Amino acid sequence: MKALLICPSERPAVPHLAKPGPLATAPSLGDCVACHWIEHLAAMGARHIQVIAADGADQVRASVGDGARWGVRVEVIPANSEPTRREAVSLYRHAADPGWLPAPYDVVVASSLPGNPDLELFESYGSWYTALVAWMPKAITPSRIRVTKPQPGIWVGSRARISPSAELVAPCWIGDQTVIGDGAVVGPGSIIEDRCIVEEKASVTQSWVGPDTFVGPMTSVAYSLAWGGTLIDWRTDSSLRVPDPFLLSSLSKPPFPDTADRFGRTQNAPAPTGSQSGLIMSLRARMGRAPSQ
Amino acid sequence: MKIDIQGPLLTVSEIHELTAVNSASFRDKVSAALTGTTTTIEINLSQTRFMDSSGLGSLFALYRATAKREGVILRLLNPMPEIQQLLELTQMQQLFEIVKR
Repeated sequence: MKALLICPSERPAVPHLAKPGPLATAPSLGDCVACHWIEHLAAMGARHIQVIAADGADQVRASVGDGARWGVRVEVIPANSEPTRREAVSLYRHAADPGWLPAPYDVVVASSLPGNPDLELFESYGSWYTALVAWMPKAITPSRIRVTKPQPGIWVGSRARISPSAELVAPCWIGDQTVIGDGAVVGPGSIIEDRCIVEEKASVTQSWVGPDTFVGPMTSVAYSLAWGGTLIDWRTDSSLRVPDPFLLSSLSKPPFPDTADRFGRTQNAPAPTGSQSGLIMSLRARMGRAPSQ
Repeated sequence: MKIDIQGPLLTVSEIHELTAVNSASFRDKVSAALTGTTTTIEINLSQTRFMDSSGLGSLFALYRATAKREGVILRLLNPMPEIQQLLELTQMQQLFEIVKR
């Protein structure tokens, strides 16, 4: 059986989600949007899935691979623009060919998540947050063995480390290899993606934290999308580049890529004052200490 | 930056950014403008487009200075959404009276 998966191209309402890569590769509950769809289509019986990518076909190909992880053949086809469903049918699906999944799963647009077609992902930042929270209960599939559900409404990656004094309030999702520090509060309605650090006494409520993001000690993230050093209020769509990496920053690249060493000291920066020295020492101590299991 | 004193009201406005570059002078100038009769300090952030931890620190220093003076109110006026987000991120909105006019 075959299926067509159309990757969404530009969506002007959510530019920050598209900065790291095409929207189809946006991280959502531990995997990319296109990956969730391929897994779903494979479970429905598809064995050959053609992925139409008008935006960043190479990055889409790097994310989904050749489909071997789902036991299917995935073929990424670059396109000049995002085709409509009708255009995709006329271009790629020949009517005489019977070997297709039944409608509507023969041609799918990856602008929502499987099973939640009414919740568009990319209409606004608020729609992204709403769709992800609504999809949380559906995100555990038989192939996702690295997610456990220790309590109703709480999903935790098996290699996540959570301090015993941290408070998890359902519904919430803690991604794989994420660290939650002492006294931190996560939830309700919060999603922390993979490889994040939420430091001690920080709180994340009604928010989504993208992968590889550091949330500093005592920091409060509420009603927001936080990814790297970018903070977006999903209620108003206002966004902020947080200037201080000890509050919020990316863990996948140094905060000052050109000249900084690992503690953020720039070559031409003035010597730290007394209080700044104390802060740097404190950060060093925190970086060297892992939260207790 | 403009400082205006009208009796018990001290207003600070035209702050385009509050960073490590100008936070010390901001703090010193506002502290110097405080008089014994000042009862209300209003920091107008409507033109403030950027603030870093030094800027937040200078606001906190003002908060501590006014906390020592009984009956003195410190208000932040009309912060832009980005600055409001930063205040919320650092939980400093719990310290200040934030007013939108």
